This record gives sequence, C-alpha cells and structure tokens, in this order.
Amino acid sequence: MSPDVLDAANGPWLWGAAVLMVSVVLLQALLYVRQSLAAARRIGFPRARCYQAFRAGAVSAIGPSLAVAAIMLGMMTVVGAPATWFKLSIIGAAPTSLAAVQFGADACGVKVGSPEYDLNALACSCWAMNISCVGWLLVVVIFARRLESLRRKVSGGDSQWLAVLSGAAMLGAFAALISKNLNPRDGFGGTVAMIVGGVSMVALLKLSDRVTWLGKEYALGLAMLLGMAAAMMI
Amino acid sequence: MTVASEEASGLGQAGASGAAFEGWWQRSASRIGVPTLLATAVLCLLPNLVIYLQYGAFPGWDAAFAAWGMVLANFGAFYLVEPISYYPVLGLAGSYMSFLAGNIANMRLPCSAVAQEVVGVEPNTPEAEIVAVLGIAGSIVTNMLFLALAALGGYGLLQHVPATIQAGFRSYAGPAIFGAVFGQFALRYPKLAAFALLIAVSLKCGSGFRINDAVVVVASVFGTIVIGRVLYVRQRSSKAATTTQA
Repeated sequence: MSPDVLDAANGPWLWGAAVLMVSVVLLQALLYVRQSLAAARRIGFPRARCYQAFRAGAVSAIGPSLAVAAIMLGMMTVVGAPATWFKLSIIGAAPTSLAAVQFGADACGVKVGSPEYDLNALACSCWAMNISCVGWLLVVVIFARRLESLRRKVSGGDSQWLAVLSGAAMLGAFAALISKNLNPRDGFGGTVAMIVGGVSMVALLKLSDRVTWLGKEYALGLAMLLGMAAAMMI
Repeated sequence: MTVASEEASGLGQAGASGAAFEGWWQRSASRIGVPTLLATAVLCLLPNLVIYLQYGAFPGWDAAFAAWGMVLANFGAFYLVEPISYYPVLGLAGSYMSFLAGNIANMRLPCSAVAQEVVGVEPNTPEAEIVAVLGIAGSIVTNMLFLALAALGGYGLLQHVPATIQAGFRSYAGPAIFGAVFGQFALRYPKLAAFALLIAVSLKCGSGFRINDAVVVVASVFGTIVIGRVLYVRQRSSKAATTTQA
C-alpha cells in the first residue's frame, strides 16, 4: 500500500468511527442484559443463575474470540487496524469482508496491496465491505417479527416440539458448515479439526458431568484448541 | 426446576401470564433491536464519509455500484438464508443481537448453547430465552475485549505468536468450533444429527463441491426440521397413553 493509503487507513477519525461502532454493539448488549434481568425478576428466575449464564457465555467465548482476533491481525495488514476493528465488531465475518475488499479493488481495476491501490480504491473497498452489512441488518429489521410469528405458527404452541425444531435447525446449520469444510482439495486439516473438535466436545461435556470443577463453559474453547492442534499435526 | 419456572415455562402456556410475558419480551426486544440495527446500518457508511471528507477520496458511483453488485451476487442469498435458518435457534432478541454483533456460527450460537447447558434450562422456555440472551451478551463482551486488544496492541502481539499458530487459528479454529457445536447437539439428538450430516454431506460431495453453500444450508436446515417433525410425531403417537400436552 502507498504511504498515504496507510495513513488514511489509520487516521484518527477512522479510529473514532471504530470506537463509536463498538460502543453501539456494547450498548445493545447492555440493554438486552437489563431486559433479561427485568424478565428474570418477573418470572422469579434467580439472579445468581443470570450471572452464571452471562459468565458461561463470556468464558466460552474466549476460545472463539482468540480465533477472531487472530484473523483480525491478518486483515489489519490489508485495510488497516481501525477499519478492521470497525468491520469485525459487527455482522459480516472476515472472509466475507476480505472478499468485499477484493471486489472494491476489482471495481477500481486494481489489486489489493499493489502500488496502484490508491485512496479511491481504499474508499471503494470500505464501501463494499460496509454495504455488505446493511443487507443482513435490514433483512433482520424487516423480517424479525414476521419470523417470530412464523416460528409460533410452526410450533403450534407445543414447546417440546419447538425445542426439537431449534435442535434440528441447529444441527442442519452446522451440518452445512461442516460439509463446506470437507473439500479434499483444501486438505484434510479441516476434516480432522471438525472430527476432533466434535469428539472432544462430547467427551468434555460428559466428563464435566462427573468432574464438577471442570465447568462446561471451558469445553468449547478446549475442544477448539484440541481440534486445531490435531489438524496442525497432520 | 423451581416452582416459579414450572408455572411460567412453556411458550404455549394457555395462562395469561405466559402470553403476557411473551408479548412484553418481544416488544422490549424489538424496541432495543430495531433502533440499534438501523443506527448501525447508517453508521456503516461512516468510514466512507470519513475518507471522503478528510481525503476527498471516492471511487465514483460506477465503481461503487459495481462493487456493490459483486457483493450482492456473492453474498446476497445469505442475507435471507441466514436470518431464516438461525431464527428458530436464536429467537427474537438473540437474532437482533447476533445479526448486529456477527460471528454467529462460531460464537453466538455456541455460547448461547453452552450457557443454556451450564445453567441447565429446558429449551425454549422463558428461562432459556433469558439465559440465551445473557450468554450471547457475555460472548459479545468477551469478543469486543479481544478485538479491542488486537486493534490496539495487534502488531506488537503478532511478534510473539509464531506464524504456524496464527495460521492454525485462521484455518482450523472455525472447523473445530463447528465440529464441537455439532457434537454438543448430536449428544441430544443423535438420529437428527445423522440425518443432518447425510443431507449436507451428500449434497456437497454429490455435486463435487460445486453446489452453492446457501442451497446446502437451506436444504440441511429445513430437511432436518422436517425429519425432526416426523420423528417427533412418531415418538409422540407411540407414547400416546403417557403424553402430557402443554
């Protein structure tokens, strides 16, 4: 990248934008925490279990967060720290965002990281990267209530069936993600990671039933590390 | 389960308290979710505004729309597929949170599921919704913390982590997480897990990995739901004498 592109990519106003974006995300999370605590009061759900839930979410996110941070470091070399921070704090994962950066560059007829990648190309990449988020945001805003009524209708008021339905949806979604990573052209690391991750998770969950000090919230991070380690060893 | 949760559990509870709670919960969730998501949609344009105002850089509307078109062509399907597919699991508040903060499959869904497992709630009860939202909130805070650390201290950190480990995270952390979450739910619904894998893997491998990912997600999610329904109804009718209807 040319020096003025790097400068622009790390300018103070962009940092400010990133901080602002992160604040909105945290604010929303805080508001939902407040709603949950109010709801718990309403139905007599113990406050201690609320804290337990938050803690479980926070701890089990450590492993995945390390992974996202690692990806972020790579993306920072392409569009700079503040733009990456801005983007990865909201919807739109790194691979999608990097692809959008590429599209922005393509639309300007240059290659990312080349000397021709000027400020206009950076602007185009940022545009492509960020406009891609708006898709998800608007769809959810427009359709969420409708999806809720659909979910109610499909469940027919049967909460046991609803539990099975969401379990089935979860399995379906993750089976699709798994199948994406099975391509032998990408090597077998992904396959090994998935299998070892899955087996480890099952083993750790069962183990934590018996060994109570090993909390279930660590299972995800540990299973992730074991899967990664196994994949890296082959 | 506590007495209070037994009274309040079950989304289909005929009592006024159940329905009133649900109505209040959904309204609150929307009151928080809609403004924050819309604000974010506007804020998304902020980096571009900054670059334009400070450096006068803009690629021209031709290039901008061309880039937008490429993004839509490649990812447009996911704008619809992902909200629809994840909604049954996330619920209303969970969806507003997850589609704002992102990292849904590798963090929000797993952490929400783990939180429910740790606290030990019945799925799809008001308690479960509360726990799910709190779990997601916890994951968002942790995530934001690590992102901030990476953004502010990033390059310094890079020196200390070997390249192989960085590459390991980039390539294998995602698949490992997907396997882990799949395993967690396979424990609960082993038959459904088998069917889900069958659908997804046969579609992918059968098409020589050429099939569109969005198609696989839709087929896998809705196919598994359908099979789940069949198995559920069959199980219910065979236990007809002892079934307790909510």
